[in-house]
Amino acid sequence: MDPHRPDEKEPSEPPPFLGTWGRLYAAELGFLAALIALFWLFGRKFTP
Amino acid sequence: MRPLDWWVLIGSLVFVVLYGMWRSRGTDSMNKYVLAGKTIPWYAMAFSIMATQASAITFISTTGQSYVDGMRFVQFYFGLPLAMVILSATAVPIFHRANVYTAYEYLERRFDAKTRALVSVIFLIQRGLANGIALCATAIVLTMILGWADQLTILIMGSLAILYTTTGGAKAVAWTEFPQMIVMFLGLIVALLTAVWMFPGDVGFVDAVSVAGAAGKLRAVVFNFDWSDRYNLWSGLLGGMFVALAYFGCDQSQVQRYLTGKSVAQSRLSLLFNGVAKVPMQFLILFIGAVIFAFYNFEKPPVLFQQDDLRRIQATKADYAPVARRYDAAFQERRQAAREIIAARRNGDGEAKARGVARYQQAHRQFEAARGEAIALAKKTSGEGSFNDTNYIFLTFVTCYLPAGVVGLVMAAIFAAAMSTISSEINSLATVTVIDLYQRHFRKRASEGHYLKVAKAATVFWGLYAMVTAELGKNLGALIEAVNILGSLFYGGLLGVFVLAFFVKRVGGTAAFVGVIAGEAAIFATARFTNISFLWYNVIGCLVVIAAALAVSLIEGRPARLSDSDKLKTVLKKSCTD
Repeated sequence: MDPHRPDEKEPSEPPPFLGTWGRLYAAELGFLAALIALFWLFGRKFTP
Repeated sequence: MRPLDWWVLIGSLVFVVLYGMWRSRGTDSMNKYVLAGKTIPWYAMAFSIMATQASAITFISTTGQSYVDGMRFVQFYFGLPLAMVILSATAVPIFHRANVYTAYEYLERRFDAKTRALVSVIFLIQRGLANGIALCATAIVLTMILGWADQLTILIMGSLAILYTTTGGAKAVAWTEFPQMIVMFLGLIVALLTAVWMFPGDVGFVDAVSVAGAAGKLRAVVFNFDWSDRYNLWSGLLGGMFVALAYFGCDQSQVQRYLTGKSVAQSRLSLLFNGVAKVPMQFLILFIGAVIFAFYNFEKPPVLFQQDDLRRIQATKADYAPVARRYDAAFQERRQAAREIIAARRNGDGEAKARGVARYQQAHRQFEAARGEAIALAKKTSGEGSFNDTNYIFLTFVTCYLPAGVVGLVMAAIFAAAMSTISSEINSLATVTVIDLYQRHFRKRASEGHYLKVAKAATVFWGLYAMVTAELGKNLGALIEAVNILGSLFYGGLLGVFVLAFFVKRVGGTAAFVGVIAGEAAIFATARFTNISFLWYNVIGCLVVIAAALAVSLIEGRPARLSDSDKLKTVLKKSCTD
């Protein structure tokens, strides 16, 4: 239908930080773990 | 709503619509209309993804949910970052490499035309109905607050969304959702700060939070696993991940958002940003609900937040009077106990604080019991078996207590949330209608201009369809539950077929087609003949699709061939090391 569709791109472009996608994924999971810990501490601090 | 509120509301609506139309000028091809010419930067895609997911009713309900049930609902979102990582590593490179307009177009490349058509029709049925019901739910709540006819609210939201979506397609959707998301964030933060500012002069922020904590509203993480408990850490991580995988990986309204990026990296960044921002955002919304709960420890809340029901039970004077007396007494006792906790906390007196907490919790139970009596009275007078005024708590607080201008900003945020979801959904419905059905099955060779015209006509059609469905949906009862159940009836089948496409190389088109039908049959049978909660339908449907497709492919004796599961291994390896 559209002969001007963009060309395929290989997923080789690195992320803008941390160097590799694997590290970025690990950072995201680490952030989630930190959030869960923070929320738990917050609840514990104020729940008698 | 005062004049300043109207100015803020109308001004923000006009700005957002005009901005979106201006940014999307020059949309003259299908590539630009459907995928914004693959020009959207990652941060705008990320905001677009978040705005699409954050419907107005989620915005309104979540604060109420926290007021009633505390902040543990945040756990439902813990699986979302996991899903974002999985999709970034799998679906994003596959969709980009396949160079598709829709997720379902990919299914024909992997399986066959009938599987693509079946899944496309399932999507159109589910998303078309859900869009109307979500619009209806928003309109009902806003109508109650603004005092308009609900048809007018539906007309305003629907017409504005149709206007800019038809004009600028996916580009207009993305660039309107960017300021819409900013308005939503702004509305949330201002609402929180104003709520804190509204506390009595002698009650500080930490005091108020302590009171909310004494009522158990701040317990956000529950480690105990219980099948009957919908929200705990484990159900959030596992169940929430399944829901997010299905929604962000198989639903065209989300897939289309991240396919507007120019590269795999841009799309990945948008999903990963969503994974980072979504959980804190939900925590903030829930925290606002907890703060409103704390506020209502010092200002007496209405016994029911739904005004029509409140008026009806007040009219039954003999039945209502004793309930009102018990409610008032319990509120006074709870307020005294809350002040006792605050005084003990300030003095650092642990024993006094423990006594205050015990007294407070006893008073809170009496307060809830009195409200329970009012709810029972509301059910009796209405003749309905269920009652839920959770959706009215936040807006009651906003309209009764927040100052001029802030009310308009919060209303603008709610309108923005509603319109962003509607526009994304009618955009994706139109795309699937044209790409997966019209062009594939009815008019294979036509000019670019022809398809563009059909896409715009389809956008108008789906917008009008949502408005009509919204009008009819008023009789559906519990609307939010209706949306969730509707989604759960279909998402399991969609997730299953994409899992097959990505990971199971021996399954062919016929096996996948039979698998989807078997999966959907299993979900409907589960819904019809068992009491299993609808949250499990995704898992059941997905597993039955995979099992049935594998069984059919074994019977077929189909030889294994190189598929995306092989290519995926290469992509995964590459994406983790490059």
